[in-house]
Amino acid sequence: MTALLSYGFMQNAFIVSLFISVLCPCIGVFLVLRRYSMIGDTLSHASLAGVTIGLMLNQNPVLGAFIFTSICGALIEFLRRYFKKHTDLILAVVLALSVGTAITIISSGKLHANADSFMFGSILTVTGLDMIMVIVLSVISVLALILLYHQMLYIAYDEEAAKVAGVKTRLINYIFSILVASAVSVSIRIVGVLVLSSMIALPVATALQLEKGFKQTLIFSIVFSMIDIMSGLFISYYLNVAPGGFTALVSVAVLVIVIAVKKTLSAVKAKTLA
Amino acid sequence: MIKAENLSFSYSGSPPYILSEINLEIVDGEYVSVVGENGCGKSTLMKLILRFLKPTHGSIETYSKRIGYVPQKSDSDNSGFPITVYEMLNSYRRLLKIKDKSIVGKSLRQVGLSDYSESLMGNLSGGQAQKALIARALMGSPDLLILDEPSAGVDLESQTEIYALLKKLNTENGITIVSVEHNLDAAVSNSTSIYHLAGGHGHICTPQQYAEEYLSSKGKGDSLA
Repeated sequence: MTALLSYGFMQNAFIVSLFISVLCPCIGVFLVLRRYSMIGDTLSHASLAGVTIGLMLNQNPVLGAFIFTSICGALIEFLRRYFKKHTDLILAVVLALSVGTAITIISSGKLHANADSFMFGSILTVTGLDMIMVIVLSVISVLALILLYHQMLYIAYDEEAAKVAGVKTRLINYIFSILVASAVSVSIRIVGVLVLSSMIALPVATALQLEKGFKQTLIFSIVFSMIDIMSGLFISYYLNVAPGGFTALVSVAVLVIVIAVKKTLSAVKAKTLA
Repeated sequence: MIKAENLSFSYSGSPPYILSEINLEIVDGEYVSVVGENGCGKSTLMKLILRFLKPTHGSIETYSKRIGYVPQKSDSDNSGFPITVYEMLNSYRRLLKIKDKSIVGKSLRQVGLSDYSESLMGNLSGGQAQKALIARALMGSPDLLILDEPSAGVDLESQTEIYALLKKLNTENGITIVSVEHNLDAAVSNSTSIYHLAGGHGHICTPQQYAEEYLSSKGKGDSLA
């Protein structure tokens, strides 16, 4: 592994993965507990549209993804007021806008680079500029999460109580949309659009199996996320497969193992008590 | 104080109204139970008092500065949410910008839940969960406490404890209480006034008047429960 890390491209991929493994579960825990996991999926598709716009305009694709995904995140929040009774339609609208934009641009042949690596994730294509973007976005996002921790926790747990306590729920929801956009944009290089939502949801789903309080669930989500992403990154290199897909498989395997251990331990406990 | 004048409300913004031409005045120190059939607009009235909703016509003003809110248990029954009793209260303390950390312990003692601070909210019984939500509502030292069916899904023993606590908060601490009630016995025995909603309209009466009205409409052999 030390030899592997002597490669410049692998160092970039490792640093980016480290930031992703912290940021994704931090955002994911709020998305999952608000039952908004599918927003992560919709916004990952929005990020593809942002990547294609960035590549078409000869700009940094991660920056393009961040801007377009932020707009889509804010649009979801805005439309929530107009589709109160059919909130599932909002995701269909934003998905149509995003995928429509991406496919139109890709099929127009006006892209100045290949967008495929963003679909499946790639270790080789992480540039120095991408890495700086990822570090800046991640640090700002984690700081915002620390500052807004109690507000976001309460909006997820009991939004009405948060309102009574004077929390500006609409403003926080808009900020949260931008944080989700940030997590999505920093992750697409390595993980890829297609399995990105699993990186946001699966470590949290695994941590929830431990039945701990919120802070411990968040910490375990980060631990599982690091296990998933780092093992996905290194093993996919040796298997010569896309890191995104393999990381998703690892995260499902870790979830299954944790559920199996939990069930076995409760069966043993029940037997001891009987 | 809460004052509603010619208040009408519908979710669509047009007739038919769930609440129609409501005129209501609740003065400080009262304990008002809001009663009525399912779907008559009791919870909607609470949401209007809390300013979660805006009146379609008319007005409603809540003059209290510190409001405590205990939601209907089905609304807050987020049993899969990984949060301990301490985390729920401590985060709320931070939202209320209360610096004194000991207020969490004090609120738990007030409702008799000191031993459960590290328990997950989802693992508490109905009565314990309701008491934890009341502890949360009390943390901001409210002058107005709004409750939506405080005894729903709560065992009889806990119901008795909860209503005794509410009565004490009203009489000894002077907290104004407005509570949506389906427990008519508790409404009659605890309240200073009862607001009866039916068919979108409401009227205020004393607990004795309400008990007589109810029994005459249902037959004298019936009980309130």
